[in-house]
Amino acid sequence: MTARPLAHAEKRGITNWLQKDKNREALAGYLFILPTFIGFIIFVLGPIIAAIGFSFTSYDILSPPKFVGIENYTQLFKDMRLRVAYGNTALFTVLAVTFNLGIGLVLALLLNRKLPSFLKYIFRAAYFFPVLVALAYSSVIWQFLYQKDTGVINYYLGLLRIDPIPWLSSREWVMPSIIILDVWKNTGFAMLVFLAGLQNIPQEYYEAAQIDGAGRFAIFRNITLPLITPTLLLNLIIYMIGALQVFDSIQVLTQGGPGDASRSVTMYVTEVAFQSLQMGYGSAIAITLFIIIMILTLLQFRISRSWVFYE
Amino acid sequence: MSKPLRTSHTSFDWLGLLATVCLAVGALVMIMPFLWMFSTSLRPTGDSYKLPPAWLPTTWEFKNYAAVFESSVPVPSFALNSLFVTLSVTTGQVVTCSLAGFAFAKLRFPGRNILFVVLLASLMVPAQVTIIPLFIVMRQMDLVDNLLALVLPGLFSAFGVFLLRQFFMSIPQDLTDAAKIDGAGPWLVFFRVALPLAGPVIATLIIITFNNTWNAYYAPFIFINTWERMTLPLGITALRGYLGSGNPAIVMAAVTMVIVPVLIIFLIAQRWIIAGITRTGLRA
Repeated sequence: MTARPLAHAEKRGITNWLQKDKNREALAGYLFILPTFIGFIIFVLGPIIAAIGFSFTSYDILSPPKFVGIENYTQLFKDMRLRVAYGNTALFTVLAVTFNLGIGLVLALLLNRKLPSFLKYIFRAAYFFPVLVALAYSSVIWQFLYQKDTGVINYYLGLLRIDPIPWLSSREWVMPSIIILDVWKNTGFAMLVFLAGLQNIPQEYYEAAQIDGAGRFAIFRNITLPLITPTLLLNLIIYMIGALQVFDSIQVLTQGGPGDASRSVTMYVTEVAFQSLQMGYGSAIAITLFIIIMILTLLQFRISRSWVFYE
Repeated sequence: MSKPLRTSHTSFDWLGLLATVCLAVGALVMIMPFLWMFSTSLRPTGDSYKLPPAWLPTTWEFKNYAAVFESSVPVPSFALNSLFVTLSVTTGQVVTCSLAGFAFAKLRFPGRNILFVVLLASLMVPAQVTIIPLFIVMRQMDLVDNLLALVLPGLFSAFGVFLLRQFFMSIPQDLTDAAKIDGAGPWLVFFRVALPLAGPVIATLIIITFNNTWNAYYAPFIFINTWERMTLPLGITALRGYLGSGNPAIVMAAVTMVIVPVLIIFLIAQRWIIAGITRTGLRA
């Protein structure tokens, strides 16, 4: 980008050009963003282009890549394991996002009331703290809690006369287990963002509604809910993009098992690329995931026009 | 802060009490895994699986903690590696993001908006897309199993640029214009006017970047494969198999040691951490 104005400048002498404040400012602008764009080109843009290139090849790192046309992409549709991985990822995304946001919103509403400040402080800290702890560590702890015969969770369920649940070792329960851990770990962040959104609602609206004699539910339905929708959209997009890339918790808890019952798309990409050394096919899967994330994000923004309320 | 809604009648607020009780029960559920972790780490290994679980420590034995260091797994070098990667990445991002954030907010240059949008779009790119070519490049540069493979890609951040730009946009244009009229160039305005005001938002960036890098699992999982170069999250999870899956007490001692510093920092800096997270949430 610097090339064009600079070339133009050389004709008139660079010092002369630089004396113009506007040009000096533009040059500084490019210099200021230079470190970021060097990083962006080397570590994001370049690799994306390379990944698109690799996705049309068969490449095992050891021998040079062989061009195979769209073979990797036709392979995508025949790959039953990929279908399972997408199924797991979709289930995880829908449920984890729903519960993270639903519980986060309820917590924020419960906290946004008259409460002794020390209670508010303690509650907020307790709900938010797991957000700061690495998912890898939390997963190590929960792995013990989830044990079928010796785990703490089944012990308490046993007191309620519920038979021991094979949390991590059965196909039916493994995804719910991972979702529960995710909600425990992440809902505090949604709570905090919702809380900030709630506190941004002008107090006058509530006062006016009270003067009009509106009940609690009517106030929630007609004031709180519409005015919280921009925050809801923000949370929705942050959580959706994150959930579609779920990796750490599953890798630590189950390594994708039993069988492929908890394998996510990102885990499958990692296995295909780094264990089977199919860099080409791995790139093709990763690119489809990227496209899906992009489409869903744009779709969310588009749909949001019909439900997000802007003052 | 919003004032509470006053109910129309003045009878005792049973609903409010119920809500508070629910919050308390929920909060207890949130911290129970940590209580179990801590109390298990202090118990003899034979008692780890004892049911009903004792949530509070029954004994105060630090044998398990000693066992972590006596094992063949180099936990102290995990910590040093994590510290090196995290400090390098955080420092790098503070420099690159504040420069770029300032340029996108306050300097006029052709292509500014389009470059900013392109940069932001990279937030949607999953790590798996870039990790394959990155791995190939790092392998050619002989950087696989090297901490630099974790540092270099972390030195810039689209999110950080966005965060800083939103902050610099909020500095009144009059202030920067006044400095310009006094003859200050872009660099002087940046260092003398903008940067001194940016303390809180840079603190936010530091907190978020530090935490993300300190907790990062995926990149170390791909790039690092020897014990000596592992970072804490990778090393601690790998340690499970080594210290015996039948021995949760020692694993919990290790996990406790890595979580307690996070807890202490959180309790000291809760106000800023929460303000920071909230700020980033609402600015978007």
